[in-house]
Amino acid sequence: MMELRKPNRAMFWRILRRLLGANRGRLFVMLLALGAGAAVTAALLNLQVDAKRRLTTEFRSFGANIVVAPSNAHDSATSLTALLNENVVPSIETQAGRSGVVAPFLFVVGRVQKGDGTLIPKKQDQTDVVIVGTSLYELPLVEPGWRVPTPFYFEGIPSNVCFLGQRTAQALNAKDGDTLDLFYGSHTEQLEVIGTVSAGGAEDNQIFVQLATAQRLSGLSGQVSLVQISYPGSPTQIRSFLANLAAAVPNADVRPVTQFTEGEARIYNRISGLLTATVGIVLLLTALCVMAAMTNVAIERKMDVGLMKAIGGATRRVVRLFLAEAALLGLAGGLIGAALGILLSIGLGKAVFGVAARPRLIVYPVAVGLTMLVAILSAFPLRRLASIRPASVFRGEA
Amino acid sequence: MFFRLVADSFGRRPRHKLLTGAALALGMGVATAALSVALDVGDRLAKEFRSLGANLVVTPKADSLPLEIGGVDYRPVNAGAYLPEKDLPKLKTIFWHNNIVGFAPILEVPVQAWTPPSQTAFTPRISNETTLIGIWARHTVAIPDGGNFVTGAEKTNPWWQLDGQWFTEGFSECVVGKNLARKNRLQAGDVFSVSERANSAAAVALKVTGILSTGGVEDDAIVAPLSVAQKLARKPGVYRKLYVSALTKPEDAFARKDPKTMTPVEYDRWFCTPYISSIALQISEELPGTDVRVIRRVAEGEGQILTHVQMLLWLVTLAAMLAAALAVGASSAASVIERQVEIGLMKALGAGSGTVGFLLAAEQLLLAFVGGGVGYALGIILARLLGEKIFGAAPEPTLLVFFVVIGLAALVTLLGSAIPLRHASRIEPAPILRGE
Repeated sequence: MMELRKPNRAMFWRILRRLLGANRGRLFVMLLALGAGAAVTAALLNLQVDAKRRLTTEFRSFGANIVVAPSNAHDSATSLTALLNENVVPSIETQAGRSGVVAPFLFVVGRVQKGDGTLIPKKQDQTDVVIVGTSLYELPLVEPGWRVPTPFYFEGIPSNVCFLGQRTAQALNAKDGDTLDLFYGSHTEQLEVIGTVSAGGAEDNQIFVQLATAQRLSGLSGQVSLVQISYPGSPTQIRSFLANLAAAVPNADVRPVTQFTEGEARIYNRISGLLTATVGIVLLLTALCVMAAMTNVAIERKMDVGLMKAIGGATRRVVRLFLAEAALLGLAGGLIGAALGILLSIGLGKAVFGVAARPRLIVYPVAVGLTMLVAILSAFPLRRLASIRPASVFRGEA
Repeated sequence: MFFRLVADSFGRRPRHKLLTGAALALGMGVATAALSVALDVGDRLAKEFRSLGANLVVTPKADSLPLEIGGVDYRPVNAGAYLPEKDLPKLKTIFWHNNIVGFAPILEVPVQAWTPPSQTAFTPRISNETTLIGIWARHTVAIPDGGNFVTGAEKTNPWWQLDGQWFTEGFSECVVGKNLARKNRLQAGDVFSVSERANSAAAVALKVTGILSTGGVEDDAIVAPLSVAQKLARKPGVYRKLYVSALTKPEDAFARKDPKTMTPVEYDRWFCTPYISSIALQISEELPGTDVRVIRRVAEGEGQILTHVQMLLWLVTLAAMLAAALAVGASSAASVIERQVEIGLMKALGAGSGTVGFLLAAEQLLLAFVGGGVGYALGIILARLLGEKIFGAAPEPTLLVFFVVIGLAALVTLLGSAIPLRHASRIEPAPILRGE
């Protein structure tokens, strides 16, 4: 038995080789159709997975989406009085991991005047202003939408500098490099202006200083008013992050910035729905187009089938031969096409988001498998060839 | 004779032609659907982004610096400047008035609140220090050139969730933030008194019509009609801050140029494009004495995401068209390759290469027009389904897409058959007819 099967198998592969090599044009057409299909499949799948992830990062240009505030923040309207201990910040940072940006804020209302180097308060030149203590380094990271200068210092930003809100700068007639004197009770600070913030909100009327400076000025050492967090993720990820965070800082009030979390969830669902639907339909119809092209080729194989049957090939073995051919073609087309597709999607990702799409390995086998499936499916009309009568084929009848 | 040959070719092998045609129709269907959606998606998404609320804020130019923390202005009522409410209908007269989706003026008053409703402040307190935010909920504005425009917080702050009803303009009603309501066990139907913090004599009794949750400072405040706030603050007919929600075109490099440095032609182009900066300028021209600022976190994020998503969709569209083109090209190539015998016969009978090529090209073109037309119809239906499923509105079918699709179909089938045709033109009839 074994001896008989061995030459059979050798013969099988031999016929297969000849079938593939017989018509170079046909081989090329089939490989082209399958390869193109595989390339589109791989590129779109990879791009789609990547785009959804990128989108959640893109949303962070809306700024912070989560706020941690003292739980009694609004007992009275003067939320100035309610403060958080600064030591919640490290535990929030642990929760947020590396992808989230955490920025503590301390708000105090003080007085400001344009400095003349004397630090003597002059009532007529002074203005009430909201002084915001935060990390000047993290401010542009937590609010990428604002126009915030990125200060550059080798040894970290010093404590005697500040950013001015756009309207504060106008009101004080101050520009970069000027000195400002801040007063709070009996405390004073002398700061250098290193940039202007344009935010289109209350922030335009504020002065941004380093957290430590604000704490020193107000005598509220180790205290913050609230912590803003910019955490990227899909709506579900953000919900679970909120729950974890609330458990990690039990004595504070963790709340999403509804304006953005709600809107983002809505837009995210729309865009990801659009992407999935478009990609799905494109994939389906790519498969159909490939199948149509393949079937067209397959029908023309009557002569081959007729010959095989005439010299005694059983229908099952003939069909198996053609299925093996299709699978082989699908594999070859898929391997080449999917690789090209993934390369393509890397370039496309770079073109769209400015960051190269990270290739997902899972996409490759999926795309190859899909291509083989389509190839085999498109060989199925060959089953109709089982009813072919060799004699009529050779006589040239249809 | 020519037409007979073409007709015959279709008649003799209907199944074969049907398959090629189907591949064409499907491919072009995808191309149509993807193109229609991609052309439409910018407008649709721009509307979706308005769910983030206002992207412009208008404040008095000659104002003292607001002491605003977390959305509450800590300045006394008599400090700072105000803007007249009667100017607001002018907003709908700017060049891009159709792009103004909504606007809402705001006046905040620091108040004290107590219950039950009485004219004294001795009875149980709700809060000594809270804020009453006067705003339009659903206000009808009479536009100068006729017609009415309904706007208010519902348009500028669509993320506000209301449990109950909005107050009615002109009535002594209000909605209460959820935290304030929870602490004082207030619910819809309750009545309480408010007065400005410094002046408890001029009190107003307000009926609660709903509980508001916003995730912001309004959760701890009272939100009432603008007219109530004006009465409490004794500032009739004015507001302090105006939020405007406008549909805009994402800013590009051109939009970031300083309008002052533009040439007149550039300036006209800039002015006549709904960039957020040009809308801001138009508003400040209509409302004198104001400072119109772009709410950066909303506007910048929107522009960036819109641009990227649109680019992404164009790429998917391109991929769809490429795949369709390749598949169609492959199938028309196959259909030419298989007709070598026929070509051989025609040549044996004396047809020149040109005639044969022309005949086959005509056949392919016919197929392309029919397949492309059917594909266009299919694609429009598909785009309609997609649009309705995702955005709740179907994209308009455009003639442009039709021509692009038909052109693409013709181009692809011709290109696909060009290579085998060139090959066929070199065919020697004799060996083919002998079956070699």
